[in-house]
Amino acid sequence: MSAPDTLMNTELMQEQRTALVHKAEVKSLDFYYGDFRALKSISMAVYEHQVTALIGPSGCGKSTFLRCFNRMHDLYPGNRYEGRIVLHPDNTDLLARDVDPIEVRMRIGMVFQKPNPFPKSIFENVAYGLRVRGETSRRRIEEKVEKALEDAALYDEVKDRLQEPAYNLSGGQQQRLCIARALATDPELLLFDEPTSALDPIATSSIEELIHDLKKQVTILIVTHNMQQAARVSDYTAYMYLGELIEFGVTDELFIKPRMKQTEDYITGRFG
Amino acid sequence: MSEHASKQYDLDLDSIRSRVLQMGGLVESQIRRALEAFGTGERALIEQVIADDHRVNAMEVALDGDCSQVIVKRQPAAGDLRMIFAITKTVTDLERIGDEARKIARMARSIHERGAQSVPLAVDVRHAAELAIAMLQRSLDAFARLDADAAAEVISADAGIDSEFRSILRQLITYMMEDPRTISMALEIVWIAKAVERIGDHAKNMAEYVIYIVKGTDVRHTEPAAA
Amino acid sequence: MNDNIRRRKRHEAVFGVVGLVALMIGVLTFAVLFADMALKGAGRLDLDFFTSFPSRRAGQAGILSAWVGSTLVMLTTAFFAVPLGVAAGVYLEEYARRNWVTDLIEINITNLAGVPSIVYGLLALGLFVYQFGFGQSILSAGLTLALLILPVVIVATREAIRSIPQEIREGSYALGATKWQTVRYHILPYSSAGILTGIIIGMARAIGETAPIITIGALTFIAFLPPSPVQAAPPFLSFEWLFSPFTVMPIQMFNWTSRPEAAFQVNAAAAGFVLVVMTLAMNGAAIWLRYRLRRNIKW
Repeated sequence: MSAPDTLMNTELMQEQRTALVHKAEVKSLDFYYGDFRALKSISMAVYEHQVTALIGPSGCGKSTFLRCFNRMHDLYPGNRYEGRIVLHPDNTDLLARDVDPIEVRMRIGMVFQKPNPFPKSIFENVAYGLRVRGETSRRRIEEKVEKALEDAALYDEVKDRLQEPAYNLSGGQQQRLCIARALATDPELLLFDEPTSALDPIATSSIEELIHDLKKQVTILIVTHNMQQAARVSDYTAYMYLGELIEFGVTDELFIKPRMKQTEDYITGRFG
Repeated sequence: MSEHASKQYDLDLDSIRSRVLQMGGLVESQIRRALEAFGTGERALIEQVIADDHRVNAMEVALDGDCSQVIVKRQPAAGDLRMIFAITKTVTDLERIGDEARKIARMARSIHERGAQSVPLAVDVRHAAELAIAMLQRSLDAFARLDADAAAEVISADAGIDSEFRSILRQLITYMMEDPRTISMALEIVWIAKAVERIGDHAKNMAEYVIYIVKGTDVRHTEPAAA
Repeated sequence: MNDNIRRRKRHEAVFGVVGLVALMIGVLTFAVLFADMALKGAGRLDLDFFTSFPSRRAGQAGILSAWVGSTLVMLTTAFFAVPLGVAAGVYLEEYARRNWVTDLIEINITNLAGVPSIVYGLLALGLFVYQFGFGQSILSAGLTLALLILPVVIVATREAIRSIPQEIREGSYALGATKWQTVRYHILPYSSAGILTGIIIGMARAIGETAPIITIGALTFIAFLPPSPVQAAPPFLSFEWLFSPFTVMPIQMFNWTSRPEAAFQVNAAAAGFVLVVMTLAMNGAAIWLRYRLRRNIKW
């Protein structure tokens, strides 16, 4: 049973729609952990070069939904997808059995909740994605590492100590390193799973600034339990509850005047 | 509206809303007493109204402070945000109405210091004022009940006060042209009538905020039909 | 309230004392034994002792063939145990699916660690010495001991791999790595400290194993060394030594203790001292390596 009305229909979005391009389309996605149906018939659009936020109370399925995009669930036994996630422009169904999850993960990157740099040097962390792909040219690797660190607003802080262990960095810097690591391979879509919940407010702000800048080059999907962050950082917001998509809309409108009472109850703290 | 997960938040909001209504009540009594002073010239009443304006101002400051606290603590969104936003604006309009009432009292004082026998168009002015007071009452009532339809009626009633003001002005102009000795007093009556007209405008603003709270649409500066 | 606190602190102190006493019993016992052995035998230690073959004359007997034999057997053991054990551990942790089969395997592996070593000796006698025809050689001994310490290596590998947080694996996979790339660039490097520790602990045990070696037929009196692995003529590398007869340190000690002359007891004590020092050195190396390799890891 899906939410009755999850298509956009406000004037603002009508105007924008002509300029918007789909990066991905989710079509009736169901997801099962064993017998448990964790996601129920989700259909949603993800627009290119826009930040889409997924919000909802604990257990609503937003992280589960996010991890469908890069087939992370394939790493563990007993999981099953139904439905499609179509990636544009080539119309590949990410969930199809004949699509290799490795191929999906080479196009779609992920940044995790707790910064998880590898116990290697700063340089090697960022270079890893390139090495794994078979890149051997030292010059090309260095160029891409430098560019990725610049895009993640970290280069100036680490350019003199690229060979030092990544663990010497602060929490906020480590998270930016993880972002650089994901960017080095030129992903088309970047998934953020509560990227700032383990960081202090200043580090959080710098990551939010970064996300805002990054959307010019990559499409972003972010899960957050902090509603104000969703309001600050995203262009579109999806509210989920118990595995269903309740409302999807332009962020500015959803936070001032949501269409669904459930959304209003959640964002105003009227949740029991 | 259902309750917030935080009881304190509900209590804070309820307290703010009931104090807005109290402020409305105080402001309404200011207008009535100023009008009565306009009619009778009673000195004590005039001074009382002028002095009580401080209470109105104090309520504005307190309510604005409390609204700021809610914003800082609760980061309200959706309906709560619209409510707080509208309340801060309503409080501003109520304070201005209080100022208008004080102006009326002052004008009444200078009219009666002159020792005038009869005040021209006093009846018409009272009538317009009653309309304005009714608008204020209905606005406050629409706010208390969050009734967008009642608010829409208030918005359309403002046209009536505007036309009454124009009529009073025309008559006073004729009056002044007939007998120039009456110009000083006539002007004071114009100011009083203008104050009444402004009270109507402020009441209309308050009604527009009610519609914003309930429906989320901002109907300021649009035609009444759009509400 | 102060009484309450004092009473509780007293109980705490009592347990501290009990623990310390228990610890000291174990440590002191070992220290006493070791000191006894050292006192008896340390005087015997000189260059001749290390470079002489055993002899009927106690004064001229040495441990040359024994420690060379031990070293070669350890090399062989490591050569087989390490790749097999590590690969099995990696497979069980990263590749195998969790079902009743793998559970059964896991139980069996930990059980194997408790099998008496002489049983391994008997198995080796039948299988390696006779069935495969390797004879009573270093190769058979190495294989036997490899089997013996295999469970230790596998368990150490698995424990080390399990201590790697899942986030690191997910980080690697999320970048498009295959399972083998994740194992090669992350799992193995980060678990190397734990794996090495396990290997060295296993080796330290193997170096002192006597029963299985005797069973497969190590000699107790050898006056020659196995052929050298390196030779002058091409192909410059020889594997003849694998099939050579041999002896090891514990057996040499055993042999000497069973002789009546007091001088041989001294020799045995000296050999025992050397053996313990070798074992302690290996454990020390394990600790040092673990420290070096774990320096970069902070989880």
